[in-house]
Amino acid sequence: MIKTIAASLLLFGMLSPSLVHAQAASAAAQRETMDIGDEPGRISTEEAIIKSGPFARQLVFFRSNEPPGTLVIHTSERFLYLVMPNNRALRYGIGVGREGFTWSGLVKITRKAEWPDWTPPPEMIARQPYLPRFMAGGPGNPMGARAMYLGSTVYRIHGTNQPETIGQSISSGCFRLANGDVIDLYSRAAVGAKVVIRHSAQL
Amino acid sequence: MRAWGEGMRDLKFGVLIVSGLSLAGCGTVETMAPKPAPAAVATLPSDALIGKWGIASYREEKDRVRTERMARSFCGRSPYVIKKGPTDGVMMHVADDTKEYELALKRSRDGKTYLGFATPPGDPQDREIVSMSDKEVIMRYVDPDANTRYGTFIYVRC
Repeated sequence: MIKTIAASLLLFGMLSPSLVHAQAASAAAQRETMDIGDEPGRISTEEAIIKSGPFARQLVFFRSNEPPGTLVIHTSERFLYLVMPNNRALRYGIGVGREGFTWSGLVKITRKAEWPDWTPPPEMIARQPYLPRFMAGGPGNPMGARAMYLGSTVYRIHGTNQPETIGQSISSGCFRLANGDVIDLYSRAAVGAKVVIRHSAQL
Repeated sequence: MRAWGEGMRDLKFGVLIVSGLSLAGCGTVETMAPKPAPAAVATLPSDALIGKWGIASYREEKDRVRTERMARSFCGRSPYVIKKGPTDGVMMHVADDTKEYELALKRSRDGKTYLGFATPPGDPQDREIVSMSDKEVIMRYVDPDANTRYGTFIYVRC
């Protein structure tokens, strides 16, 4: 409900994203584990990038009042923009939360990690009981090559071991990029950078 | 795939024949022993694996200690339960398979210990036991692909 209201208010410019403040990080989502809708054990290298099509990394015209270095995420469009000077932005294709797991708000990057750890959620353990309950970071880890932690939420911008899911909505609210792309973003985005998540209703 | 119990039955049958012939002075173990199949399958007591375990995996040695800590932390939340199998083994999963199978510990001629089906030790479906004590077992898949994907597992007894 909060998500829906927030999204609506944002859409009509009635509410500043700062007030929304990632409230969609509901109690259920505040678990230690994250269901990111991924399968462990698949391998994706650091070189994996989206090479063509709209989700390929590219410099685009982007009018914004946000200062350079800000990340603006349009979940409906599956794009993440890194704001650059002169009305330009570097645009990345992303995978987003599935229905009911999209959210909007204003947060900051509070931490960055290379090859982050992964904790499969209980539902995944129930489905695949052979999985380790904790997997230290590495190539088979669904979190991929890099992670940027968003505020105090359980959500992250991270890589993936399944780059074919870029452009889809299958996560539980995290934003995923192909490993090569998240490495590129990681090198450009600073801890403390502002992250604006916008979710517009699709017509 | 042959069940562990079948392999063990073959092995026991072979041992019975050899014992009988040896006692009767009709031959030697070398000449009369059944051919290769279970020859390399020397078992170890698998009962040591029965119980509840916290499991976690890592790839680099620098992550081992904290992975062990994480494994222990899952004892309460989501332990992996190993039960005794119908014959001499224990019921466990293999990589990427949701079904449980009866697996057993076996030792290869070079002294390494494996956990798996009634196949010669070191079979691609086996796990190699890196170390084993009452409180902790460290193992990894023999199959290089599975090993790369899942890393080295730490089982901490709950």
